[in-house]
Amino acid sequence: MSALAIKNVTKSFGAVQVLKGINIEIDSGEFLILVGPSGCGKSTLLNMIAGLDSATSGELWIGGRMVNQLSPKDRDIAMVFQSYALYPTMTVRQNISFGLEMRRVPKDKQDEIVARVAKILQMDHLLDRKPSQLSGGQRQRVAMGRAIARDPALFLFDEPLSNLDAKLRVEMRHEIKQLHERLKATIVYVTHDQIEAMTLGTLIAVMKDGEIRQFGRPQEIYNSPADLFVAGFIGSPSMNFIPCPVVRPDGVAGVQLTSRAGSFTLPLPHLSEKLSPWVGKEVILGIRPEQITDTVVSRHVNGAAFQQAVQVDLVEPTGPDTLVIVELNKTRVVTRVRPEQAQKPGSTMDFVFDTSKAVFFNPQTEKRVA
Amino acid sequence: MTDTVRSETAGAGNTLRVLVYAALIVAAVWFLLPMFVMIITSIKSLDEIRAGNLLSLPAHITFEAWTKAWGTACIGVHCGGMKGYFWNSVQFVVPAVVLSTLIGALNGYVLSMWRFRGSELLFSMLLLGCFIPFQVVILPMARTLGLFGIANTTTGLAFVHIVYGLAFTTLFFRNFYVTVPDELVKAAKIDGAGFFTIFQRIILPLSLPIITVCVIWQFTQIWNDFLFGVVFSSGEKQPITAALNNLVNTSTGVKEYNVDMAAAIIAALPTLLVYIVAGKYFVRGLTAGAVKG
Repeated sequence: MSALAIKNVTKSFGAVQVLKGINIEIDSGEFLILVGPSGCGKSTLLNMIAGLDSATSGELWIGGRMVNQLSPKDRDIAMVFQSYALYPTMTVRQNISFGLEMRRVPKDKQDEIVARVAKILQMDHLLDRKPSQLSGGQRQRVAMGRAIARDPALFLFDEPLSNLDAKLRVEMRHEIKQLHERLKATIVYVTHDQIEAMTLGTLIAVMKDGEIRQFGRPQEIYNSPADLFVAGFIGSPSMNFIPCPVVRPDGVAGVQLTSRAGSFTLPLPHLSEKLSPWVGKEVILGIRPEQITDTVVSRHVNGAAFQQAVQVDLVEPTGPDTLVIVELNKTRVVTRVRPEQAQKPGSTMDFVFDTSKAVFFNPQTEKRVA
Repeated sequence: MTDTVRSETAGAGNTLRVLVYAALIVAAVWFLLPMFVMIITSIKSLDEIRAGNLLSLPAHITFEAWTKAWGTACIGVHCGGMKGYFWNSVQFVVPAVVLSTLIGALNGYVLSMWRFRGSELLFSMLLLGCFIPFQVVILPMARTLGLFGIANTTTGLAFVHIVYGLAFTTLFFRNFYVTVPDELVKAAKIDGAGFFTIFQRIILPLSLPIITVCVIWQFTQIWNDFLFGVVFSSGEKQPITAALNNLVNTSTGVKEYNVDMAAAIIAALPTLLVYIVAGKYFVRGLTAGAVKG
């Protein structure tokens, strides 16, 4: 039995279809991330799971029950909002126990639950404060406490970290992840931040324009994106997209790349078969910055490595790595090298291309071809 | 060099400040002068009023006019003073203020947080109510009161004011509630609270600033109303504003200016009091929507 099943759900506002047939099924204990740019329908989908919005068609199942007709309170869910939505006139204690009171949990049981939740989130000392007396991180914690107190079948998070500053966001991210591990809770989490998606999720659904572009494990989505959009959306700095013609000089497929110094062929022996229909035509090569690197790092690359000297245009140190920007096929290409290996702009340096994870897209349909 | 420049600008600032204060003081005196004349006239004897200067302080203070205005002055043929009419007003003003505020809060809550198809249109139509002059309402209202069987009663007068005030109170609360995040209501829905529970436990407690504004506004409007009072009540059931008018117009030979003044102050006292007690919250409530945080 799945913890949450979304079956062919659509949503229209008048003539505008904002969700075009969503299908997702997850097991208990999964941490599902709905990620996508704003306006992709992810928040609408979450609101529909919560029962705050109704589906135009399709079925929603939570814990083996169809919930389409149930009101939010009967769906056995708890939700953490972007603005936290703490009740401003109530103390933290009242905020946490309000939901319990509404469910007619006996008073002594309520106190017990509040105490337990306060202990989990280490906020015993905050219980008698009003939300206005709390910092952003503390408010966030209270909002989570309110959700935990209910012990729901499904937790819903609506961009809970986007109101926090960068440092706090990382801290709270860890806390949410820890909470998930400890409570073994099933979570649906909406974000537009691909780093949050990668770090928190056990499953990611990448959405765009009311559709799920790809649904899978984080590493799977990172390594083999289904289309150009997913490839560009997940990962930072994002994947390089280089338009290039497919060639087969000696029976081995490859792509033709041109730097300022001249052309060379990047051989792709492992993709010969998949690329054979594309020989003579143009594809888009997708290759992540860390797959074009210096000769020292490349010792760890096994197999599909190819070395080539290219002129350096720009150098951006980030601390642990340095991003070296070069030009291939008139496209800016970001590479990631060890800081001490980076050469000055204008000079030429040897790069190693790890083609084992390179991906190829059809320039017209933007779908993955190899 | 820079010092002289700075002191010059400071000097210019001071001159400007003096001008501003002078203007403010003149304005304050301008508005307070009638009040001052009313008070000193009310504590003078009739002889002194006839003899003296309008602005001169009383030679000896007497509260005779006040006791007369409150208890024995003749209004029409009854010589019972303002007392009875004062309580008449209290009797319909208090329920009218409380009910119009409560219903306005409920309306505002629905129109901002439980929107439905056509709710914006409904709100715009309600807004029109703010612009309808009193005179337009009189005839249909008289007919309605008759149908309900509450014509010429305190209940009837309260009803008139509640209905007429709803447009304003709804506007106040609706505009306050649109600044309250929707997520609050969503969170409460998920927590299991219903329509009225959310209103009572979450929304009303945070409405204190706007309740204050609404109460002051409604209290002033209803207490000071003259037209509805004259039209929809008569005789001993009339509100204090109508009684004041009758008192001043009832002539028993001599024009008792001191009694008139005392009666006028008595009639104005409750609204004055409300402003003094809650005025600070009034300003705070009016600006509450403007500055968030």
